[in-house]
Amino acid sequence: MSPSPHRTALVVDDEEVIRRLVRTVLEADEFVVSEAPDGPVALRTAAEAKPAIIILDVMMPDMDGVEVCRRLDHEAVKVVMLTARDDPELERRCKEAGADAFLTKPFSSTELLAVLEGLIG
Amino acid sequence: MMTDPSRPAGPSPASAGGPASTGGAGESATDALERQLHVFAKDAVAAYRSERVRAAELERALNTLETAFLETIRSLAFTVEAKDAYTGQHLERCRVYGLAVLDKLGIASDYPDAQYGFLLHDSGKVGVPDSILGKPGPLTTAEWRVMRTHPLIGYQMLAEIPFLSTAAEIVRSHHEMFDGGGYPEGLAREQIPLPARVFSVVDAYDAMTTNRPYRAALSAEHAAGEISRMAGSQFDPEVSKAFVELAPTLPTVTGG
Repeated sequence: MSPSPHRTALVVDDEEVIRRLVRTVLEADEFVVSEAPDGPVALRTAAEAKPAIIILDVMMPDMDGVEVCRRLDHEAVKVVMLTARDDPELERRCKEAGADAFLTKPFSSTELLAVLEGLIG
Repeated sequence: MMTDPSRPAGPSPASAGGPASTGGAGESATDALERQLHVFAKDAVAAYRSERVRAAELERALNTLETAFLETIRSLAFTVEAKDAYTGQHLERCRVYGLAVLDKLGIASDYPDAQYGFLLHDSGKVGVPDSILGKPGPLTTAEWRVMRTHPLIGYQMLAEIPFLSTAAEIVRSHHEMFDGGGYPEGLAREQIPLPARVFSVVDAYDAMTTNRPYRAALSAEHAAGEISRMAGSQFDPEVSKAFVELAPTLPTVTGG
């Protein structure tokens, strides 16, 4: 079965373990997954690989997730932000930056799958 | 055929103990963990998908049941109505208008079975002889006494049916008046169940705006004025107010 162009995802987190876990669940859900450890790599990968979904950690050194989100082409991609805690102010800033959905760490695999289904079916 | 030297293509004596035995000492704990993680993730996705399929199936089944239930109730209500003088879409208009008022009052979800009560309000008329129901002239006192049993007969028909408790209350109290002057129990004000107070208003409005053998239909404005005029006596003032506000935008009931 060839991968649908809709089932491509980029996982952006400075923690390798988180990238690995998210990637594993996405691959089990038949996504083709790429990874980026920081904002600049994420923006480059997003421009080249054109994923349908970006799972984007908010808390990263140098360029944080909100800034990465702001610089993305939102016509082409849906963005799920990973936040460390429930924070309405942060969620508001993420939405302004174009985020489509949120997951609060720690999240369950079911929550992750439900968010993805909500965004691309 | 693709081959991967690190993974046996099928069972063999060397791998019978499980995938972790592949490569013996070359296998790192991280690789084993990685494979275990993949199995867990596959599990999670499979469980999620089957749950979603099941939820969709259940929702379809529930919709089918609700439709079948509504049609059954409708059929029963029409059967009773056929005995009586009412015509056309009176029952359906009562249902639609009643739901609109409950919605406007913000209490529709508190009374999920109210619509069945709106349809079945006169079901107790099966217990009233045709000679009385169809009598061309005015009823005698004795005949009125029989006629006035129909709310309680209807209530007794429905009281034991699960999920129809509100409907049964509406049937029982649909001829009560806000000031206590109605029947069968002479209840007043908050003693009358709220959905029954709603029904009284929509039933009266529909009766007034429908042609009858003995008079032409009133205009919608005239009928709404009558509802306002009888607020506090025949009708609950708050329900009347909500209804009169709603009246110009009531949904149209077609068919029949």
